[in-house]
Amino acid sequence: MDAYVSRDKTERGASRMGMIVFLASEVFLFGSLFFTYFYLKINTKPWPPEGVALDPKFAAINTGILLFGSLLVWAASRLVRRGRMAAVQAALFTASVLGFVFLGITGWEWRHESFRAWTNAYGSIFFTLTGFHALHVFGGAMLMLALAIRTRRGKYTFATHTGIEVGALYWHYVDFIWILVFTTLFFIR
Amino acid sequence: MKRFFSIGLVRGILGGTAGTGTGAGAVMLIRMAMGLPAWDEGQVWAAGIVAGVAGYLIALGLFNYWARWFVGARDRFEPNMPSRSWTRFLSVSTDHKTIGIQYLATALIFLPVAVALQLIARADLSKIGFSLNPETYTALISDHGIVMLFIVAIPAFAGLMNYFVPLQIGAKDMAFPRLNALSFWLVPAAGILMVTALGAGGFDTGWTIYPPLSVSYQPLGMNLVLIGAYLAGFSSILSAVNILTTVIKLRAPGMGIFRMPIFVWTAVSTTILSLLFTQFVSMALLFVLLERTLNMPFFGTAGGGQPLLYQYMFWFYSHPATYIFALPGLGIISEIIPVFARKPLFGYKAVALSSVGIAIGGTMVFGHHMFAAGIPALLRIPFMITTMLVAVPTGVKVFAWVATAWGGKLRMGSPLLFVLSAIVIFLIGGLTGVIQAVVPVNLYVHDTYWIVAHFHSVLFGGFLFPLMAGIYYWFPKMTGRRMSEGLGRAQWWLMTLGSALLILPMFVLGLDGLRRRTADYSNMDFRPLVIATAVGGFLIFLGLVVLFYNILRSRRKGAPAWDNPWEGRTLEWMTSSPPPYDNFPATPVVTGEPYDYGISSRPYADVTRSNPSKNR
Repeated sequence: MDAYVSRDKTERGASRMGMIVFLASEVFLFGSLFFTYFYLKINTKPWPPEGVALDPKFAAINTGILLFGSLLVWAASRLVRRGRMAAVQAALFTASVLGFVFLGITGWEWRHESFRAWTNAYGSIFFTLTGFHALHVFGGAMLMLALAIRTRRGKYTFATHTGIEVGALYWHYVDFIWILVFTTLFFIR
Repeated sequence: MKRFFSIGLVRGILGGTAGTGTGAGAVMLIRMAMGLPAWDEGQVWAAGIVAGVAGYLIALGLFNYWARWFVGARDRFEPNMPSRSWTRFLSVSTDHKTIGIQYLATALIFLPVAVALQLIARADLSKIGFSLNPETYTALISDHGIVMLFIVAIPAFAGLMNYFVPLQIGAKDMAFPRLNALSFWLVPAAGILMVTALGAGGFDTGWTIYPPLSVSYQPLGMNLVLIGAYLAGFSSILSAVNILTTVIKLRAPGMGIFRMPIFVWTAVSTTILSLLFTQFVSMALLFVLLERTLNMPFFGTAGGGQPLLYQYMFWFYSHPATYIFALPGLGIISEIIPVFARKPLFGYKAVALSSVGIAIGGTMVFGHHMFAAGIPALLRIPFMITTMLVAVPTGVKVFAWVATAWGGKLRMGSPLLFVLSAIVIFLIGGLTGVIQAVVPVNLYVHDTYWIVAHFHSVLFGGFLFPLMAGIYYWFPKMTGRRMSEGLGRAQWWLMTLGSALLILPMFVLGLDGLRRRTADYSNMDFRPLVIATAVGGFLIFLGLVVLFYNILRSRRKGAPAWDNPWEGRTLEWMTSSPPPYDNFPATPVVTGEPYDYGISSRPYADVTRSNPSKNR
């Protein structure tokens, strides 16, 4: 029994550290996109170019959705320590659904944008930035779905739940990036 | 027949073909649904290749575990004893030692290919009776460059790091063995894409792929290279995550960071750089691909794009990348000199920290590639100063190597011979680097053969010769047999003379004004020196032939090496050759210093006592 617990400890340490290291790299991924955005912004007058009208309404709703999802995932990672697995499963599943709702709203918003990716450089970076973020939300939503399924299958207990902790880290990161994307696109003109 | 299909690579190729068809078909259907003509060369092939790579990875079985994890299926028993047949290298393996050899073999297969591409171009430039058309010439040299960097340099050192970092820190394997397999299997796909690019029209932008040339006028080959480089970048990010986590979390008890071998220090520095900065070059390459296939004007000025943006993003990675190629090499040099001089490594802490210093300094110098590109004059001076400052930690290393060898009783084995050449050549490259960092000199030598000579001497001294030294040094550990010393010396002579003939005339040519990447020249005074570079390249190629013969011969007929043929102190020598599946008979406990040759009888570590309480 003792050996079992200690092995789990090192494994959790490695997965957590692996996710932290990976997220450091991800910061640079979005860093490169933000660098592009600001480089283009500094070198283009006016910015955003004419014909670009952005409506922050849907993005604001999306922000709320992601923040609520983050709250649920945080709750899940707290509840799992008390062994309340049914609540954990519900929270993770809802977070996953919220992720897909976010993607749906994003897609709807993309369709109604007044510009396209190939219209101008602004369109290119706008769709690449939001697109890369959407890709990460998709990954996160799938991950939350997997964690919900695994919770249902009894893979996690109050003592062993590395997957949920590591998954929560990722989900919070995706959320954090959205805040940056949202403020950059809609408020730093 | 069933055995044939049990080889992962066979299934991978079938899966790749199926994926390519599916992806291409899907794009054509979408285009038809949108009312566009079905065929668009760029888009259809891009989607086909991306889906093809996905199909190849799925068919290899790399995602089987994660798919089962996703649905919470019961863990399947995974046999942890790999087969001893050589075909195991053609299938997915999660053992870090198998993956290390897979990486090395891939790099060594693409190395002579990339050299040969350049030799054809050199022969053309020597004007010995045949001539290529300029597009072919530039396609050859561009492919030479990009294959060398992404498929040879990075994977070769990834191979050595995969094999020896876990061994040197006393771990059983990497932290994430399945991720490790995924990062390896991306590399052959990338390599094949980059070489077949030549058949798809090639590309003539040079390895740097600058827009606007790269976003217009280029045939399909450009897309293949872009996707290939993107995959290679993805692979090196994943492997960086893995190596860093391994070093942080899986060190043996007692191994504080100042007891790690220098090779591990350099591996950490390298992986930090590739972990973070590869994202920038990947994104820049993706932008080029998006502009080419979907007309997204990141760089095209007609749509409001900025061509210089590419250069910033590209060099933000690609300058640190030169250290990614060189740092593990400097680590190998630091490993080998103390062993062959039988003296402690001079200034261990300074050498260890200088790796980190090079890594940090290397991130702040990228602007020196753009002195001639019209960046604000204000930025030139700071970049000049930082560039010169990077020479300081590098100089610390060189000084420590010389001081270690000083007064030592050198054993002239072939690993040491390669190391000595490496130091001299690296010094030439490093010193010319300081010279050309000076802005006026830089503007004069920009885009001439001087630059080519500079970075080839850095890469020969920092990558090629240390790689050879590493292969000769660690081959006994990987196979249990020693390589032939005579053949090693023959190869050393060929490659050292070849490098001198290749590099030194190029400096002269550059100062005389011969420009790089030009397929022809009219001043016949250049010709003798151009021929000298071609001969040098040919000698290096011959050296590689000797190396391959030596490897294939020694694998079967070499003298038995036993556990510790060089009498090294570090952990990899404290286990059998080749090491067993779990690397060590018991968890090693580190109790001494790694390089105390000749001054301490206390061993570096104890690998025999069983160690039930891992108090970490």
